[in-house]
Amino acid sequence: MKPDNPDFSDVQGGSSSSAPPPATQTYTVKAGDSLSKIAKQLYGDANAWRKIYQANTDKIKNPDLIHPGQVLTIPPA
Amino acid sequence: MIAHARQRSVMVAALAGAAIACKKAPPPPPPAVPPAAVPLSVSSVTLGKAVGADRSIAQPLSTFGPKDTIYASVATVGSASSGEIAAVWTFQTGQVVHADTQAIAPTGPANTEFHISKPSGWPAGKYKVSISLNGAPAGEQDFEVHR
Repeated sequence: MKPDNPDFSDVQGGSSSSAPPPATQTYTVKAGDSLSKIAKQLYGDANAWRKIYQANTDKIKNPDLIHPGQVLTIPPA
Repeated sequence: MIAHARQRSVMVAALAGAAIACKKAPPPPPPAVPPAAVPLSVSSVTLGKAVGADRSIAQPLSTFGPKDTIYASVATVGSASSGEIAAVWTFQTGQVVHADTQAIAPTGPANTEFHISKPSGWPAGKYKVSISLNGAPAGEQDFEVHR
């Protein structure tokens, strides 16, 4: 590993706000995301990807193919 | 003489009373106009080692130790039924350290915090956190980690 290109794979992070969450959240797809990964992150359950897919059938034609920058509607858990 | 003076004072009092009675009541104050909704925007980005219950940082810092949890508190003003704040943490080389998003629906001033930690310790160097609001750049802060 190059000394100026360190390993950040063990970085942990999170967020919270004093503002209430929207009734329906949105999520902007990042590089490397998949619907199951997003479902795991937001619902704690990768199998909940269908819920996200069903709320975004107008934007997602193939559930295996989402693109960075897409703004997905995330229904309440 | 005294009777005349009394009559005069009674007349003066009567005229004054009539004048008061004829005075129009002041117009009622105009109905309060509700303040125009302020659009959601980021007002500041502050770094520190801890946030309070309101997600603000009491002691701003720009230098951290290798084992510190680093917080970025993003202050916003305005309201929105839905907004998304994103934080991207990068190392001096441009390498992305971590990225997070937080959906909010504020009705006024609010604070949103993002935090990162690295159990094995942060490499020394320069870092940056870049904040965006609904996909548009909204602020950034540089910081350093010293051994």
